[in-house]
Amino acid sequence: MTYFLPQKLDDALELIQDGSAKLVAGGTDFYPAMQKGQAMGRIVDLSRLGDMQGVTKDGDGWRIGGATTWTELIAAPLPPAFDGLKQAACTIGSVQIQNAATLAGNLCNASPAADGVPALLTLDASVELASVRGRRILPLGEFITGVRQTRIAADEILSAILVPALPDHAVGRFEKLGSRRYLVISITMVAAVIGVGPDGLINFARLAVGACSAVAKRQPALEAALIGQRPQTVEVTPDDLTGLSPITDMRGDAEFRLIAAARQSTRAIQNRERS
Amino acid sequence: MTKINMTVNGRAVSAEAEDRTLLVEFLRSGLNLTGTHVGCDTSQCGACLVHVNGEAVKSCTMLAAEAEGAEVTTIEGMANADGSLSTIQAAFQEHHGLQCGFCTPGMVMSAAALLKDNPKPSEAEVRDYLEGNICRCTGYHNIVKAIMAASGQLDAIAAE
Repeated sequence: MTYFLPQKLDDALELIQDGSAKLVAGGTDFYPAMQKGQAMGRIVDLSRLGDMQGVTKDGDGWRIGGATTWTELIAAPLPPAFDGLKQAACTIGSVQIQNAATLAGNLCNASPAADGVPALLTLDASVELASVRGRRILPLGEFITGVRQTRIAADEILSAILVPALPDHAVGRFEKLGSRRYLVISITMVAAVIGVGPDGLINFARLAVGACSAVAKRQPALEAALIGQRPQTVEVTPDDLTGLSPITDMRGDAEFRLIAAARQSTRAIQNRERS
Repeated sequence: MTKINMTVNGRAVSAEAEDRTLLVEFLRSGLNLTGTHVGCDTSQCGACLVHVNGEAVKSCTMLAAEAEGAEVTTIEGMANADGSLSTIQAAFQEHHGLQCGFCTPGMVMSAAALLKDNPKPSEAEVRDYLEGNICRCTGYHNIVKAIMAASGQLDAIAAE
């Protein structure tokens, strides 16, 4: 094994241009996934790339460096629409994991239960992929294609997450169901960004369900149906959720997961009134 | 083999290690600092908790090479300069914040990280912060009590 600790993104891109290196940032998913006796090969550690860290205003939107840790995200001053993403961040592993684990790692690891994905989908996030060939931007919904599968090429690094401007009155919310509160794989989760107008009616709605399909799913039909409704009277049923295909395993069966996701959706939407 | 350099408990250290060496192995086998424990090896239990550049991390899912040049603090660095127990350590002893003692180094390091950022946590905040530290003896009550005492708030818990 050879270990590289580059300080600049351009240096890292050169190190990985032949496509043979494995990328590590926080390492919190990488090492537990290693099998006994497995050769580690060539590793490029992205945790010291200063130009890939931190949250900055980018025009009207926001740019979150790929190597930003969840702890840094939680501490960043961001508008209320990001509250759901911050709540999701607080449920990832435990505090010590949040101190090391990065947003890009969560996205590139592409677990169906990745806690960061539903909230980032409700923020209409895109990912910036960098390589020596240049940079390209993909919507997050197109980037993750399946269970642990993404469209990243072997010579690319997820350098940043881009979030477009959101209305000031939109508020984010995240609901996670696990068998305990922390250090747990989500059974189901729901992220929402809801805006309520002066008339008390919903005029902005985005909602995504996670851990109920190979890739977390936005709910465009439900979002459209929410417009004009009063949040406290909304009751989401499993039939309102589309594109989901939850698995049955020891954490819960498919029917339970759909019911849970509907309840979480209701809660995520109604809670907007209180804050 | 690579030469890895870091500052551990205020002392500059340098040791040869295979690239794949985890930070916890480097501390335990390379530097003989066996106070940091390995409980689960999967970043759940928190027995391996150390501070890297002031932040609490689990040293069983971090390569030693990742900590190149970093300031690392382990349980061995928690006592006062004269060798006496730190406030947190003394509180764990006084309030019997341990049973078998295996999780204790991680609990003390977690408590230190919490009190650095939040010197007067509520009991709920202490319990919340310890989410990443598991005590198999389930001796949480006295651990929380010790941390409340270390923050000078024993009254808050004595009122129960």
